Amino acid sequence: MAQDGHTDDLFSDYEIEPEFPDEMFRSDGEPHPQCRELWSALRAMPADQIVTMQEHAERSFMRDGITFAVYGDDGAQERIIPIDFLPRILSARDWHQLETGLAQRVKALNMFLVDVYGAARILDDGVIPVDMVLGCPQYRVQMRGIGLPHGIHVSVCGTDIIRDTDGFKVLEDNLRSPSGVSYMLANRQAVKTGLRDLFRRHSVRGIEHYTGMLRQTLADLAPRGNSDPCMVLLTPGIYNSAYYEHMFLAREMGIELVQGSDLLVHDGHVFMRTTGKLRQVDVIYRRIDDDFLDPLVFRPDSQLGVPGLFHAWRLGNVGIANAPGGGVADDKSVYRYVPDMIRYYLSEEPLLANVETYLCREPEHLDYVLDNLDALVVKMVGESGGYGMLIGPHATRAERDAYAAKVREDPANFIAQPTLALSRAPCLADGRAAPRHVDLRPFILQGRETRIVPGAFCRVALTPGSLVVNSSQGGGGKDLWVLDEPV
Amino acid sequence: MLSRDAEGIYWMSRYMERAGHVARLVLEQLQAVQDRPLGAIERGWQRIYTAMNRSPGGGELIAGGEDVDEMLLDAFTLVDDLAFEPSNPNALMPCLAQARENARQVRSVISHEMWACLNVAFLEMRGVRLQDIWTGQPQDFFRDAASITTTFGGIADATMYRDEVWHFFLLGRSIERAQRHLALLDAHIGLFPTGERHWVFDWGSLLRVCEARGAFRRVHSNEYPPETAVDFLVADPAHSGSIAHALATVAAACSVIGGERQDEPARRVRRRVGRAQGLIAYDWPTRDAYDDAATRDMLKVLLQACLGFHTDLEQAYFRYAVLDLSAGQSR
Repeated sequence: MAQDGHTDDLFSDYEIEPEFPDEMFRSDGEPHPQCRELWSALRAMPADQIVTMQEHAERSFMRDGITFAVYGDDGAQERIIPIDFLPRILSARDWHQLETGLAQRVKALNMFLVDVYGAARILDDGVIPVDMVLGCPQYRVQMRGIGLPHGIHVSVCGTDIIRDTDGFKVLEDNLRSPSGVSYMLANRQAVKTGLRDLFRRHSVRGIEHYTGMLRQTLADLAPRGNSDPCMVLLTPGIYNSAYYEHMFLAREMGIELVQGSDLLVHDGHVFMRTTGKLRQVDVIYRRIDDDFLDPLVFRPDSQLGVPGLFHAWRLGNVGIANAPGGGVADDKSVYRYVPDMIRYYLSEEPLLANVETYLCREPEHLDYVLDNLDALVVKMVGESGGYGMLIGPHATRAERDAYAAKVREDPANFIAQPTLALSRAPCLADGRAAPRHVDLRPFILQGRETRIVPGAFCRVALTPGSLVVNSSQGGGGKDLWVLDEPV
Repeated sequence: MLSRDAEGIYWMSRYMERAGHVARLVLEQLQAVQDRPLGAIERGWQRIYTAMNRSPGGGELIAGGEDVDEMLLDAFTLVDDLAFEPSNPNALMPCLAQARENARQVRSVISHEMWACLNVAFLEMRGVRLQDIWTGQPQDFFRDAASITTTFGGIADATMYRDEVWHFFLLGRSIERAQRHLALLDAHIGLFPTGERHWVFDWGSLLRVCEARGAFRRVHSNEYPPETAVDFLVADPAHSGSIAHALATVAAACSVIGGERQDEPARRVRRRVGRAQGLIAYDWPTRDAYDDAATRDMLKVLLQACLGFHTDLEQAYFRYAVLDLSAGQSR
């Protein structure tokens, strides 16, 4: 790559491959304009200094318990999400495109949920196949006919965004319990501390107000416009993989972190058990799945939920974020129709594109997928976290054949997408910068207004060549700097 | 305050206190093993296990007739049982692990500094095995562990907001401390009757386990007369490790928690504490009329009271039955 006299710096072994866009460099090897200062400063910095900062940050994550749980044969293990200390920079123009596109998308998704649990016009009009929606395991028949204040089904959304040679694309919408925002904030804190001079020289937009905005968004759900609502965060408990995040958000918002056993419902109202007396709860930010929310309505064997909660919510006596039933809108098959939703409800063209998606439930799509397994990424509709998928180009013939058999057995349970030329960004590897694939997950808050902090949990596939960025599959994270500059 | 958080704080505090106590017990015993006569070493082990009401490894500690006692287990096995044995609820590492589990539950209400202290200590110590430290200076490990629990208490004192969280922290620490000290004192007097002539070491060691030796020397003597030592550990309200001090702390906390509730379960806790305080104030044997048997009876009564506090707290604040939902609700 182009260098200007430096023969042994952080980037001297860095290789750019034209098929993968690079977040720091143009295809000619020169840094993007917004990355020039960072690149120049990093080159002047001894590599071992950055490595030391990164190690220090990871030690502090362990010390502070910024961990997630990974479940294996030998039980749960606490691990940190490895941080890569080289920040990724996004220009103000790029961020503006993302921000407006995400707001548009979440607005349409909320309208879809209002519709699909109400008049179902979009189904009547044949925009989305009826059986795909009504047959979706995440479609909750109990939600039908329930009108929500301000039409907000999804208050907190984490949307996975990739960039390929065509630009930004939405990979996935996470509308149920999106996690990762605490790592976004932790990564920022660590990098801001370690690279403080560099950080100061860049006009990086702040993200630290996220929890304040989340609190405002939740308060918007308070019944009857209560201006000082009692809000709680409902967690499955310390063995949940995202428990650190639950604790962090509750602490930062100054609200109670509760488990199902702390709450009870009486006379259509929700109360929490305190040392003094029962205290009425107005808003619940739940981080447990629909299935476990209320054993009287969903899974009867749930030990995590609160009997009667759904009834109290339906009466309008408590707000719940996110509302039950949102999973039907982030289903991997329904995803294909989100651009159509945007056109249908907003009469606008989508500002962010989808990744091309083949639905194996369609016979012609199935044939194409089976014929091109070696070029596609195939995912199970009901899986997440990088589990249960086949990355065709990286799989052996035997693996592809075995997977094809599963697809043929239950085609509706699979979708396929082209193997993406995910963009890459410089990451530290053995004391050098090396290209690794990245995506990003911004968080969109929908209350009376749409709120988005200018940042994201930027996920990194730390294994060379790997496209899997999920933390449960060995992925890491890095700080994303959105520059404050005129658009 | 959320009841589950109150319970988590309470248990975190209890387990940290228990961890510090057992670390000091083992540390003292390891010192004794180096330079004490065999009989004293044996009685030292007996003191620990009698106070814990435990038989190591499911077997007996001592075998022998009336004249000859014989240790059945070696020091390595016993220290392993006291430090690392997962099935021993009083062992050091299981206590630290439990304290950390409870701290994880209540991380949103304790200070970051408290969590970091406990978490770092746990992460550093969790991989240690006795065989790793036995050939070196095992005392250092237990000295460090004891020091961590003391530091943790200091950090809590320096960083916690004085609301209910703080009072439940104090309740856990005080009740655990009182229980441990009462059981240890009872076992100690049983093995080292005050009327017999003993090495200064035995009573000095007891005071050190109870973090009282320095204060005792300053206030009384460096010869550790047994009756005075017992009185100091039980009834001196100025000694922060005394039973009287623990009860006063419990009483003060109980007057604040739960928004000064006046219902029967809350009153029951306060009544029991008041009675225990009264026992020490009015019935405690004086040094002029000291009697081991009467003292041990009193210690047992006080120990029962401490066990009762726990049950009362649980019923009043942690897992109370919701009988009347129309009463006591708040918005």
